[in-house]
Amino acid sequence: MGDQRDVWLVVPVYNEAPVIADVVREVRRTFPNVVCVDDGSRDRSSDQIRGSGAHLVRHPVNLGQGAALQTGVEYARAQPGAQYFVTFDADGQHQAEDVERMIQRLRNESLDIVLGTRFHATTENIPFLKRFVLKTVVLLSPALRKLKLTDAHNGLRAFNRTVAESMNITLNGMGHASQIVEMIAREEWRVAEEPVTILYTEYSMAKGQSLINGVNILFDSLLRTNARR
Amino acid sequence: MLIQYILIVATVLLVIFFLRHHGTTRAGAVVKLGFALFLVFGVVAVLAPTQVSHLASLVGVGRGTDLVLYALVVAFGFATINTYLRFKELELRYARLARAVALRSAESPEASDTEHDGTLH
Repeated sequence: MGDQRDVWLVVPVYNEAPVIADVVREVRRTFPNVVCVDDGSRDRSSDQIRGSGAHLVRHPVNLGQGAALQTGVEYARAQPGAQYFVTFDADGQHQAEDVERMIQRLRNESLDIVLGTRFHATTENIPFLKRFVLKTVVLLSPALRKLKLTDAHNGLRAFNRTVAESMNITLNGMGHASQIVEMIAREEWRVAEEPVTILYTEYSMAKGQSLINGVNILFDSLLRTNARR
Repeated sequence: MLIQYILIVATVLLVIFFLRHHGTTRAGAVVKLGFALFLVFGVVAVLAPTQVSHLASLVGVGRGTDLVLYALVVAFGFATINTYLRFKELELRYARLARAVALRSAESPEASDTEHDGTLH
């Protein structure tokens, strides 16, 4: 599949010890550069990452997924030769083949960022309630409608250096997905969506964020001052 | 009633002001002035309850104590928002500090991956 050494995968990890090593090994068959950000896990995630061939950055305390992504992007963009960046979930939901297609698009088309979407292909594998909430989020967000995006909270994203350089996630928790969409709208990055498959395994369903967390996301996004650098 | 307009307009204006200017010196000064005014109002309410009752009837509130209560509710709401924003700001600084520490002690695989070398790819 060609040389992917200019691609960096950023994987935020929080208490994923049972699966993280396998997920990293699997994805490293295609993408040799992986940085795992251990967000202050209380289990043995770090030890698992150490043996898996990924770079390891450890938050000394738990900060939240948004903060972990930002840390990972900052680490990856400082590595020599890094041109493309991918955010990738640690629980095995995402597929390396999807990432390959997204990177291919970044290389061949004039795009800055490619977002994974669950809503282009068949949506039957998405649990009903989840589908309903995700659709509602899209309807309520002006930025999403303006950019004609269909899936706000997909963890799979690929972007180039321009985006990585100016990436500045200030919402530490789960509000970062909406914040990234806002950034796309504000900075006028060229954006496209790519249909991806999300494997809702038993493990990822048990780990996945609960829908009630949407209330927290909404609150954090609404009640926010102009973020100062 | 006049009090309804006063309370609603005051609340809306304050929320907008807070979200736009939070953290600036001017906002800090305004908050302190507001707090001082609120204290003065409290002292006056204790010393001259009839005056407060008079003021209350001017704006359409039954009793002076009710007026004090309304003011207290608004003040409490703002104290809460202020604290919330302050916490968020601290959280962000704390995250940046933790990030700096984390990036300093990053481990690359060559250092820890000797037994796996060659088996991958």
